[in-house]
Amino acid sequence: MTVPRSGRAWGVAVAVVFAAPGCLLVARALADVWRAPAILPQRWGTRGLDVALSGRALDALATSTAVAVTTTALALLLAWPAARVLGERRLRRPGLVLAVLALPLLVPPYATGQGLTEWFVRLGLVDTAAGLVLAHLVVVLPYVVAALTPGFGPRLHALEEMAATAGLPPRLVWRTVTLPAVAPALGAAAFLGFLVSWSQYGSSLAVGGGRPLLPLLLVPFAGSDPQVAAALGLLFVLPAVLVLALATRAARSPL
Amino acid sequence: MNQVWRDRAAVVPATLVIAVLFGGAMAGAVRTSVVPLDGAPSLDVWRALFDDPAFLDSLRFTAQITALSTVLSVLLALAAALALRRSSTLLRTLLALPVPVPHLLVAVTAVLWLAPGGLAERVLGGLPFDLVGDRHGLGVVLVYVYKETPFLALLLLAAMGDELAGREEAAAVHGVRPLQRLRWVVWPAVRRPLVTGALIVAAFVLGAFEVPLLVGPAYPGTVAEYAQQATKGDLIAGEGTAAAALLVTAAVAAVLALVAVRVARGGRR
Repeated sequence: MTVPRSGRAWGVAVAVVFAAPGCLLVARALADVWRAPAILPQRWGTRGLDVALSGRALDALATSTAVAVTTTALALLLAWPAARVLGERRLRRPGLVLAVLALPLLVPPYATGQGLTEWFVRLGLVDTAAGLVLAHLVVVLPYVVAALTPGFGPRLHALEEMAATAGLPPRLVWRTVTLPAVAPALGAAAFLGFLVSWSQYGSSLAVGGGRPLLPLLLVPFAGSDPQVAAALGLLFVLPAVLVLALATRAARSPL
Repeated sequence: MNQVWRDRAAVVPATLVIAVLFGGAMAGAVRTSVVPLDGAPSLDVWRALFDDPAFLDSLRFTAQITALSTVLSVLLALAAALALRRSSTLLRTLLALPVPVPHLLVAVTAVLWLAPGGLAERVLGGLPFDLVGDRHGLGVVLVYVYKETPFLALLLLAAMGDELAGREEAAAVHGVRPLQRLRWVVWPAVRRPLVTGALIVAAFVLGAFEVPLLVGPAYPGTVAEYAQQATKGDLIAGEGTAAAALLVTAAVAAVLALVAVRVARGGRR
């Protein structure tokens, strides 16, 4: 089938608007010298990447990854039973639950983080990985529940009952029916949860300014050293790209 | 334990964690704002906050970029969704690309392109107006519109499924004109996702922090920037001022949410 010409024009426009900035980021990260008004860099090099892959930057990368993975795992564990009940519409009045879950999405994360700090100071959680995970969990959990809920429904429930009636033990039902059916939603939820934690700026600054995550480290460089900022930016977007690829594959897996 | 209670128990862990952490956070913010480090509870911080012209400026600035970003994203997303509704999956995938990219990264890229001496200026030989650091926050609005338009457009495209196309066709067969179809067939179908999406965008921009930090003006800042300045400037009262300022944005977001729920519900009558 041929794509109509107007569709192709749209495609080109969308691709240029969304892909060009990314290409610039790569070029900027690999340009050791790029003085105005030159359109192309005077000298290419890896100074930006060297800084972005050493010392404090590497620590921040490790902390960011650990916090995002832990937060996402915790959120998935907490969200699973809630998503199942909400997805199968088993609550007669889910309004209150939905409202509570939506609240953290409405309030600026910096506000939530600032309020948590009041208690974290007393509990000795400020600038700790545990404090960061808790602060991120408030924001991540609602997204994870929202993404996981559509994975469940009366159809899956019926399939599970069929499998159980056919004599499959519960663990086998879970592995052969439930998990494959929920996999796309699970992938999406994990993806979203990881990204939300990974990109948190305000709440991270409030409760963990002394233990910088990647976004906190990146911001000062944007004004002072664009090459390092671009290199850190590439690191910052890399897991998003990887997780997106993984999630897309998970979503394609058949029921 | 009967089924009803078992179902209720299943939502307890998630709800309780949010209730404790979020409720605790809000209580903590209120406490920080009324109990200063050195003594007795008072409303001094709140009084000083609303007497501070810098805070009022930041509130006005935040409201302005929130309104502009939300309205522009909604209009562009509607236009994009209507234009792309019959398009290929490839185009939709392209449209989805900016959605997972962190705001911070878009802001960094905007600085690289649009700051004085940036690539756009070099290619075009000068920009007609400043975007980065603009006093009215044009650069901030641009970053948010760039990020949120695809998000809203995808929400709308999801709501404009095959079923809607069928209903439109049926209306067209009965002689309903295109504009009338838009008003009476398409609009009711997209109203709820659009209002929900717009609320999410508005709440997001209300809390804008890292984006204006990078591409916004030095003054005025958003409320979040004002709060951060307060904690840096005054070590004793600063935390209280920051908490109070942030609670104001939280309250504004809550009011917006109530309005949005009413507007979204209106469609069901």
